[in-house]
Amino acid sequence: MAIDTVPPLINAQLTYLITHSPFPVKVEQMWSGSKNPRLLDRFTLVIPYCLDYIRWDVIYNAMYPLAAPDVIFGPDDESFQPYFGGNEKSSKNGLADWNSKDPARLLALILELRAAYVAYQRRRIGEVDDERLKFEISTLVSREGIEMYMSSINDKPEEVKFAVPLLDIDLNKLVAGSTWRHPQKIRLQVIFPVGKKYSTPPAPRLKLISSAELKALYSIEDFKLPSWLEGMCTAEYLIIVEEMLESQIKNAVSSIETRRKLIMALAPIFGRPIEADPVFCRKATFLASSGVFTFLVHFSLSLQFPKQPPAIILQSSQHFNSYGVPIKSPNLTEYPWSPRWEPSKMADRIFDFLVDESLNFKKYCGQLIQ
Amino acid sequence: MDDFPIDKIQISGATLASLLHRSSAAAGDIHGYLFGYATVSTSNSLSDHPSTTAATSLLIATITSFISLPSHLPLPPPPPATNSTALVGWFSARRRTPLRPSLKDSTTSISLSSSPTLAFTPQNSTITLPPSLFLLITTPFQDQLIHTHEYKAFQCKGNAFDPKSISIVNIGPSFRSQYDSFSPNVQFPMMDCELRGSNAMIEDSRGESLADGKRNLKDQKQLDTFSDGFEIKRLGKLMGSEAAYTDELEDLYDKMLAKFDGLSKLVEQTNAKVLEQENRNMKLRYRVAGLE
Repeated sequence: MAIDTVPPLINAQLTYLITHSPFPVKVEQMWSGSKNPRLLDRFTLVIPYCLDYIRWDVIYNAMYPLAAPDVIFGPDDESFQPYFGGNEKSSKNGLADWNSKDPARLLALILELRAAYVAYQRRRIGEVDDERLKFEISTLVSREGIEMYMSSINDKPEEVKFAVPLLDIDLNKLVAGSTWRHPQKIRLQVIFPVGKKYSTPPAPRLKLISSAELKALYSIEDFKLPSWLEGMCTAEYLIIVEEMLESQIKNAVSSIETRRKLIMALAPIFGRPIEADPVFCRKATFLASSGVFTFLVHFSLSLQFPKQPPAIILQSSQHFNSYGVPIKSPNLTEYPWSPRWEPSKMADRIFDFLVDESLNFKKYCGQLIQ
Repeated sequence: MDDFPIDKIQISGATLASLLHRSSAAAGDIHGYLFGYATVSTSNSLSDHPSTTAATSLLIATITSFISLPSHLPLPPPPPATNSTALVGWFSARRRTPLRPSLKDSTTSISLSSSPTLAFTPQNSTITLPPSLFLLITTPFQDQLIHTHEYKAFQCKGNAFDPKSISIVNIGPSFRSQYDSFSPNVQFPMMDCELRGSNAMIEDSRGESLADGKRNLKDQKQLDTFSDGFEIKRLGKLMGSEAAYTDELEDLYDKMLAKFDGLSKLVEQTNAKVLEQENRNMKLRYRVAGLE
């Protein structure tokens, strides 16, 4: 038997979890709990929660992989007992009649436990004696998908984090043909200090966070959060943010078309692109030649297009450096440009610029390989 | 049911050592029941602390024995409490895991500590105590030469784990104060046998049923094999001259050594058989798990 293998039954469950989870789950480490053969049967899952991560150890038994796994929660969550929430005992849970042959069971278990964890944190925060917090919860609780987390120091509540999903629209459907695997979301993180008395409550710490893949469409860093007025509550603030965000997202979606038009306008001059990003239209590569010198032209269009001209990189198909890597030009961004031009005029002017620039680039390549 | 806080948990060094050995010798994870007793003591209330009143009584739980089985097998129905030992809690030993109660640990602990039928009454008290102890045994994540085990005791109280310190009781002058609470309980197998001659046996069996007689006969036979070569009448030979005494004693001693030798051979053979069966089981388990 190979050293350090994952028993197939456990592996099937884990692989299914990672590929089918609605949120990205990572395995931080895997190790063995058996005495002699090194069968990996324990692992730490990193699960996104409330714009942070929670780490749960899943303990299988390599000696008996047919048995249901055990879960050890984080060090701060010792009072989290999902199957003894409140007073009523739930007889049916993800561990009852465990079927090791069904690869979806681990995912179902983790989803069930995570839902229980959301409820657990909400219950815990509901018990905190803080006027403002109680009010905030009462106005926010109806929002779907809201997550809360309370961090404490020495068993005393320190601060409460909210992760509020913004915009009740499916961003994945907004972009035709998007290849996003996980549902894309923009969330507002609101952090309130609790357990202290203030004459005027300070503004909460605010941060806008989007799922990673959304960056191809819209950069959350470009969004300037409106200022928090004194005496405001989160529910009021959210309306303002959502309005601004919605119009910006709309612009971002329509700017895909603007980018697509330029790429389409480049095609009659440079020929069909040999590679192009058809979903977000952020990248396109054309093959061009100047006399016998053939080279690739890489266009990358920023989210600020057409305010910013596309960045152009030329790549020789005939000159290679000593490592065998094709020689590339530096990023070309300084050339005649106006955002008010028609796409066909933009394409013409880029072509004119490249006619001259290709000669410089050829010279540059020739110098480099000598 | 009230959850009385346990003030102190005691375990004998030998019991803890055998528990640790059992968990490190096992192929996988194990769990099992902890047996023992609890006492309420009011004598040990000498304290330098001014706030503690002299009348405080301490609830001390003592772990005397345990049973263990692999973790994938469910815990059997708990045996009924006897006079000297009761079910005080359970333990879980799992390698290379954080020293925190897991999901399964908490569900098992809560269900044990909340079942009124399992509650027992500590000595010299009127309260009832559920089996609420939980002993967690793990090993460090990195293999280490000296520090090989970690353990932590908890009392499961109202759906929450309350960490408790555990004191190890050994034999020696520094443990003398614990002697007063010592109560011996050695469990010998129940064998209803008397020392008797062959004719006495016939007399006895008259009044008994056939099955009883058969069992007694079997027990007696077993006992006879143990005492073979050490008959009572040989004691008479020890009473003679000094030379005879020495010879007889040496003979008895040799016989004893031979018996030990035979016994250890038997143990060796059975251990080999157990190992063989274990390996066979392991292979079957691997086949089931699709590892072949």
